[in-house]
Amino acid sequence: MTSPVWARRRAAAGRVWREFAANRGGLVGVVVLGLFVLTAILAPLLISESSLDVTRATGQRLESPSGDFPLGTDENGLSVLTLTLWGTRLSLVVGLAAAVLSVLIGTTVGILAGHFGGWLSAVLLRFTDFFLIMPSLVLAIALSAVLEGGAGTIILAIGVVSWPTSARLVRAQTLAVEARPYIERARALGGGHGHVIFKHVLPSVLPLVFVNTTLAVGTAIVAESTLRFLGLGSTSEITWGGLLRSASSSGAITYGAWWYLLPPGIAIVLLVLAFTLVGRALETVLNPKLRERR
Amino acid sequence: MTPVLELRDLRVTYAGGHEAVRGVDLTLRSGQTLGLAGESGCGKSSLAMSVLRLLPKDATVSGEILLDGADTRTMSWGRLRAVRWASASIVFQGAMHALNPVRRIGQQIAEPILLHATSPPDEVDARVAELLAQVELPPEKAQAYPHELSGGQKQRVMIAMALACRPRLVIADEPTTALDVIVQAQVLRLLTRLVSEHGIGLVMISHDLSVLGSVCERLAVMYEGEIVELGTAPTVVHDPQHAHTQALAAAFPTVGDPASRYAPATTNPAGLPPRVVPEAGEPLLRTESLRVDFRDRGGGWTHAVRDVNLEVGRGEIVALVGQSGSGKTTLARTVLGLQQPTSGQVLFEGRPLPRGGRALRDYRRQAQLVLQDPSSALNPRHSVYEAIAEGLRIHRMPGDERALVAAALEAAELRPAQRFMPVLPHQLSGGQRQRVVIAGALALRPRLLVADEPVASLDASVRGEILALLLRLRAELGLAALVITHDLGLAWNIADRVAVMYRGELVEVGDVEQVLLEPRHEYTRSLLAALPEVAAPA
Repeated sequence: MTSPVWARRRAAAGRVWREFAANRGGLVGVVVLGLFVLTAILAPLLISESSLDVTRATGQRLESPSGDFPLGTDENGLSVLTLTLWGTRLSLVVGLAAAVLSVLIGTTVGILAGHFGGWLSAVLLRFTDFFLIMPSLVLAIALSAVLEGGAGTIILAIGVVSWPTSARLVRAQTLAVEARPYIERARALGGGHGHVIFKHVLPSVLPLVFVNTTLAVGTAIVAESTLRFLGLGSTSEITWGGLLRSASSSGAITYGAWWYLLPPGIAIVLLVLAFTLVGRALETVLNPKLRERR
Repeated sequence: MTPVLELRDLRVTYAGGHEAVRGVDLTLRSGQTLGLAGESGCGKSSLAMSVLRLLPKDATVSGEILLDGADTRTMSWGRLRAVRWASASIVFQGAMHALNPVRRIGQQIAEPILLHATSPPDEVDARVAELLAQVELPPEKAQAYPHELSGGQKQRVMIAMALACRPRLVIADEPTTALDVIVQAQVLRLLTRLVSEHGIGLVMISHDLSVLGSVCERLAVMYEGEIVELGTAPTVVHDPQHAHTQALAAAFPTVGDPASRYAPATTNPAGLPPRVVPEAGEPLLRTESLRVDFRDRGGGWTHAVRDVNLEVGRGEIVALVGQSGSGKTTLARTVLGLQQPTSGQVLFEGRPLPRGGRALRDYRRQAQLVLQDPSSALNPRHSVYEAIAEGLRIHRMPGDERALVAAALEAAELRPAQRFMPVLPHQLSGGQRQRVVIAGALALRPRLLVADEPVASLDASVRGEILALLLRLRAELGLAALVITHDLGLAWNIADRVAVMYRGELVEVGDVEQVLLEPRHEYTRSLLAALPEVAAPA
């Protein structure tokens, strides 16, 4: 039984990929994303611990780009290129983890609100509305200030703040699926809530959730950089947002040290752009509503 | 005199090489009526749309389409625009969706009049009122929005729109498909009257021969893009020559015809089972003064089901008949425990229906649901195997799952079972999908099947096969069934007893012969009177 099922799934995946590949922007996004991931994985092999240690810095303060330091140095004399490459790791991890956390909360709340309806839905939706109207940045700052600590806190702060939009989206999709007669059939067959949610609702909202996660990663990376730039989270961790903060606090701007500001800034833009391109391309392939319109 | 419509060797081919219409010749003079019958996919709608060049761009049309002697196929765009609606108009299928929901009825009827300037602007309102009067609607309805009208009223508005520019030809595409028997009869009477009063040529398309036969003088039967039979309505209906026409004619039985009692049209080699007499004694299912109320938006109450006492015996097939909105479906959902009654109770084998939890789940193994539209009753992502195993997994039925699924497919006559297991619903035909739904129900070895309009969305030839399957299942497995339908012919075909529901109440319950042949309640009589009749051949 499994072989035809798997053959069908392989065929479906192949179809999605072909449609996706027809989207030039999405393809560019995938390539850029691949390069970033590769950098993050290979960084420990290319860069030794010593080149990140302030006490063993070899360069001068804010040295301009040269053969030794292709992107110049920071205020401690460390290579900006090395720091930026190393920063990819944490930015990527925090972005992904925060997005997954946010979509996880959003999907759970959305499906519960859509499936059960009634007072539970009313309570959950008011709860969602509450988080929706909160200025998310302020809330995230407050949270990460209270919770103290490193990357974990930042992930939590972003995740807790950004789930309401996906909750709304998933709820709408859940309602649409629940109106289909096959849900009535499943209930008449004796299926309980768990059966309906896991066998029928979840599989049909998953593509939407997947698209939403991809798009949310971009937002999460920007949020992470913002929080780091504002001085939240541990200063011992190397991230792009942290680099930007050190650049501004060390007077790199007045000094005219563009090589210190641009690399982390451009890296953020590129990574967010890559995720958005991939997300949009996936959306046109997976979102049934957009697909009909094309 | 030039005919209103003349088709010469009409062919319609869609991109991808599918030939929908293959060489059709037809002639229609003014004042004549022609019925075009056939199953879904036979090309009848493609033919109708080709007349006004309304086919999608990927369709290639060849041959001649002469409308009043002028070929619409080669007409200039401006000329075609003038001809559309002014010489020939269409009553589109599905009146529910063919009206703009945000504009008043009057404006929508006036639209073609203003476009074609067939009446001076200051007389448009008067013309709209006149048209509404012709379709027997009060002139105030011009101010109404589509959602304020019933299905039958919307269909009348569509007809008024079609007549707006005094066309010489009206094409009605399935004008009564979504309507009740009683409303259908009213709309058909209206069409007949208008055609004879205005001397319009009418082409009416339907899958139901008796509907066409009651309105049209001549019938053409289409099959795979060709006209296989053409003749006067009584001859085609009562003395069909082509095998396909015979199948179509047999699919809709005449109530009262002993030949079709317990004998839906089937070509299945399994044939029809011997007649089964349901066991007497304690009924399998009983409802006791069941009431179901719904709260309206306005705050009032709708009494969907009022004081219903209904019994279904073991191995008995009961047809629940009524118009849409009579509470049939609510009653069915309550019987299955999908809807809680306001008062009264449902008894299964003498025990009240459990309200929830394990006990309700166990009950649902005993009573299974078959829905109206099989294409939406199956999850499009689940294969046939998964759809049928769904119930088995929910109830953790003992035994080898694969063997049980295979047995259920066999019982629903999907053979060979292995071939159907990995297939997805969209790869199946409508009849096969309904069989999958039935197989899914059968896998749990239920005692009672509740079927909500099980054949309403299926083609005529498939209809008989599914009904015959229900009869065989009853004979072989002792399965009782509560079949909900608006189709009295279905009740005549398979049911032992019939219950007539009207505005939430059961107005008449009894043996099929008794209720349908000697109706006592007025409503039952009006239902029977509304059945379309075809005159006997001279």
